[in-house]
Amino acid sequence: MKEQVEKALAHDRYAVSKLISIFEDSRPEALGQRAEALALLERHPGRRSGTILGVTGAPGCGKSTLIGALALRMAELDPDISVAVLAVDPSSPKSGGALLGDRTRVRFPPDTQRLFFRSQATATELGGLGPGSFHVCRLMHLLFGAVFIETVGIGQSELDVRYLADRLYLVLQPLGGDEIQFMKAGIMEVPDAIILNKCDQGEAAQRSYHALKSSLTLARPFEPEPIPVYQVSGKTGEGIEGLARDMLDAARKPGAAGMAAKEDYFFAKWVRDEWGRMGTEFLSDQVGGPRGFLDRAKSFDAAQADFSSGVRAWLAKPRKGE
Amino acid sequence: MSAETKEGAVGHQIVGKGGQPEREQPWIFRTYAGHTSARASNDLYRANLEKGQTGLSIAFDLPTQCGYDSDHPIARPEAGKVGVPINSIEDFHILFEQIPLEKMNTSMTINATAMWLLALYVGVARERGVDQSLLIGTTQNDIIKEYLARGTYIFPPEASMRMIAQMYEYCLEKIPNWNPSNICSYHLQEAGATPAQELAFALATAIGILDLIKERGKFTEEQFERSVGRISFFVNAGIRFIEETCKMRAFTELWDEFTADRFGVKNEKYRRFRYGVQVNSLGLTENQPENNAWRILLETLGVTLSRNARCRALQLPCWNEAMSLPRPWDQQWSLRLQQILAYETDLLEYPDIFDGSPVIRSKVDDLKKEARLEIGKILDMGGVRPAIESGYMKSALVQSMAERVRKINTGEMTVVGVNRWTEGIPSPLLSGNDGGLFKIDDASVKETIDALDKVRKNRDEKRARKALDVLRKAAREGLDMMEPSIECALARVTTGEWAGALREVFGEYRPATGIEGQHLGLENERVAAIRARIDRLVGELGRRPRIIVGKPGLDGHSNGAEVIAVSARHVGFDVIYSGIRLSPEEIVQSAVEEGADLIGVSVLSGSHLELARQIMNELRKAGAEKRINVVLGGIVPSGDFEALEKIGIKRIFTPADFGLADIMDQLVGLLEESPE
Ligand code: B12
Ligand SMILES: Nc1nc2c(ncn2[C@@H]2O[C@H](COP(=O)(O)OP(=O)(O)OP(=O)(O)O)[C@@H](O)[C@H]2O)c(=O)[nH]1
Ligand SMILES: [Mg+2]
Repeated sequence: MKEQVEKALAHDRYAVSKLISIFEDSRPEALGQRAEALALLERHPGRRSGTILGVTGAPGCGKSTLIGALALRMAELDPDISVAVLAVDPSSPKSGGALLGDRTRVRFPPDTQRLFFRSQATATELGGLGPGSFHVCRLMHLLFGAVFIETVGIGQSELDVRYLADRLYLVLQPLGGDEIQFMKAGIMEVPDAIILNKCDQGEAAQRSYHALKSSLTLARPFEPEPIPVYQVSGKTGEGIEGLARDMLDAARKPGAAGMAAKEDYFFAKWVRDEWGRMGTEFLSDQVGGPRGFLDRAKSFDAAQADFSSGVRAWLAKPRKGE
Repeated sequence: MSAETKEGAVGHQIVGKGGQPEREQPWIFRTYAGHTSARASNDLYRANLEKGQTGLSIAFDLPTQCGYDSDHPIARPEAGKVGVPINSIEDFHILFEQIPLEKMNTSMTINATAMWLLALYVGVARERGVDQSLLIGTTQNDIIKEYLARGTYIFPPEASMRMIAQMYEYCLEKIPNWNPSNICSYHLQEAGATPAQELAFALATAIGILDLIKERGKFTEEQFERSVGRISFFVNAGIRFIEETCKMRAFTELWDEFTADRFGVKNEKYRRFRYGVQVNSLGLTENQPENNAWRILLETLGVTLSRNARCRALQLPCWNEAMSLPRPWDQQWSLRLQQILAYETDLLEYPDIFDGSPVIRSKVDDLKKEARLEIGKILDMGGVRPAIESGYMKSALVQSMAERVRKINTGEMTVVGVNRWTEGIPSPLLSGNDGGLFKIDDASVKETIDALDKVRKNRDEKRARKALDVLRKAAREGLDMMEPSIECALARVTTGEWAGALREVFGEYRPATGIEGQHLGLENERVAAIRARIDRLVGELGRRPRIIVGKPGLDGHSNGAEVIAVSARHVGFDVIYSGIRLSPEEIVQSAVEEGADLIGVSVLSGSHLELARQIMNELRKAGAEKRINVVLGGIVPSGDFEALEKIGIKRIFTPADFGLADIMDQLVGLLEESPE
């Protein structure tokens, strides 16, 4: 494991990939391996603490194309930055298989080790991420200076990615220029910045920009300052440099929210998914919520193991009145 | 109308002088040829011309078609394989040695680099002192079907279409007998298109070119009409030959309508649907290959029977189509079919034998209606360019292809020797020393590359650099690129340099793969059983098995890879397929980064040995050769199986493996054998 971690920090592709596989592994024995890898990494002087850049938006609005262009430009602008992409695609409910198409839009030169791309499938998850996305981000942000996460294209406000990303970008594409359509998207309240993509589409793009600006004030009335709107084109490269700089700035900012807050959310979510209503009850009533539990355990992975045995014992206990 | 026609036919046969039936001139018999090197191909062409062949149909190798010099890493395995390699004007001089350009009708199957090859041709004429206005021929130059089916695209649609328009503008007065482009529906059918899709996509493409020429406004009305008259077509003819006859009639009528109504072409001559044909090859099988001879014959009927919609030129595939490039004997056998049909039968003695048939009329009308609807859809999207960029047209083709394969799998569509009457006596045609296959001499590449080195060394470097600069500038500023290309040709610029300069300006384009959102309507017990086995693997591995479907090198045959990608997802794999033309390095990089269990390579270009070796080398470099299994499918002669297995390929599939469930069964089996 030690060698693997060293190699991964040097961005050896296969080493990074194999570590990621451990963080995606659904078997119980992977918990220990994860804890071991993280422990090694957290102590390592060479570890990064990368910013997680969330990118969300409707299907086909150009997220993947954009991320491909941005990552390349960031690497050009900053010779020291390393960038990883985690892109999530939907699985077929019928066969369970997924067509991981995001990668098709991105081409990183094989000789640039600083750029890394990994696809994930949603499997049965509904929140726009995959079951392993959180775990993989826990790993990747220690290996790379910036980590993009592309959600599946959905349009709901309940987006898991808001709890995972340090900075969340919502990608929109020119519509008919109708303000209502932007409002309907419903997720306008969530992002830290908006990217209006496909600005190569001429007049429609211009009209959309103005419509968006005015509907933003309506959607977020209590904000002192309107959030930034970037007009770009992943196709022609227009506006990419400015946005890449914004992202580099975000990546350089120390002390982004950190993992703790994210762990709370994803621990509670895991409990819900894995142990259902009873698990949630146990978490809030018996152990004092996720933070307390996580603090007591040595790591997220250990907490999961501890919780599982705890909740099992609790469920097995005969209860009053039953 | 009675059977009386312009030709003076009365009732039945066309009666000529002396009361003898007068025969119509037959169509042109074509043979698509070229391989190994400029020298070898020149020998071949001169031999064919001596035998009485009247025109040349040039097959270029994939590097030339994709704008690479023969010594580029991605080009090496393909140089000289499926066509002739042309690196510079020196190669072209050799290719046409002792062939009188001013008398030759030269047809070039060339697309993304069409402007360059025409420039080289003009260059040869100028250096030989031949008046360029005498040149006669065709550059295929239909980029839309490259994005959709054929795969030798380079630049994005806007730039590519601009180059096509510029070639029309250049040729109309300066090489008036040149057909700057030849709109192809042939390749669309080979990629799965239904007859209506074939009609619609080809006509929409032609409309797109003409719209653009009109919009650019370089022509007077009279010139524009003439340029409409220069558009010709290259069409397919499948095994359902009655429907195909109707399709040809529909093409003719629709083109007449569009050129009149949309473009206001008054002269009837310029509205005529002029077309050449290659009959369908997709349906030609590896199993019982002798049956293909009958298929080819029947397909030929579709484009020859109806006099009013008869092709002007015809080239036929051969009985061993699904196994290798044809040998000279195979081509001769197919040529004889044409000669027998034209000269032994009474086919050419009659006026149109379908005029007045209500059955044919109603089928033609149905096809026209369906095609018009589809053309309307594409025009509503803004024309072929947006319909390519959005992936709409490609998705439609992939869907049709998946549907075709599904029907063969379920038996809904009968393919004799494949899914019915599969037992038979082994074919004696395969028992010669060569096994009925054609083999390319691999050593010939060296000769080509030596010649290229010599050109680079001996040329006036300053002139070459300057020519490239002028070309770049013209490209950037939207000026004519034809003259600058001719100067590049004369300055001994190479194919890779010409395309490289334009790559710098225009960038490279990767069109949609068309497989997203595709379904395979194949649900049966076997599929269910395979899914259950994959679910079991998910539990054992702690993740869903992942396959990278890869198309290494320059091979553009995407059907097989698309079908395999869609099928793999259908049974429960996570699948990554990034389209054609990736380097072995890129494919292995994907597999390594994605933690894949399997790489499935598809190669139909004949370079499977070199490419398999390169893939395994890359895997070894990454230290992943033990954990990632590699399987390969495509046109692989059984003689190469052993060598591939030695290289480390775990399973090999060929066109005989049409059963998708069987293939998936084997892939899952491979993973069950070797978990971790
Ligand atoms: C259709 C076709 C085309 C279409 C391709 C459309 C497309 N988008 O795919 C068009 C018309 C464009 C075309 C063009 C050319 N073609 Co072509 N084409 C064929 C043809 C007729 C059928 C191939 C096909 O699609 N079959 C249907 C699919 C579903 O079957 P498949 O690919 O064999 O795949 C099955 C199995 O092999 C296996 N499999 C395949 N791959 C994989 C991968 C994995 C992982 C697995 C598990 C299984 C698997 O499973 C599949 C399902 O059954 C073959 C001859 C033939 N009948 O096989 C020639 C053929 C392949 N073409 C040939 C040539 C030379 C060309 C050209 C290069 C000609 C030229 N000089 O310009 C061009 C250029 C194309 C390019 N850019 O590379 C030659 C190749 C010669 C050789 N290998 O030595 C062939 C063999 C014809 C011949 N006899 O000359 N072609
Ligand atoms: N005109 C234009 N088209 C673009 C641009 N960016 C992407 N596209 C096109 O939009 C389509 C979708 O692009 P993707 O990058 O796959 O979009 P996505 O949001 O990642 O899609 P999903 O992951 O499927 O939700 C493709 O056809 C792209 O070519 C752009 O800036 N301008
Ligand atoms: Mg995407």
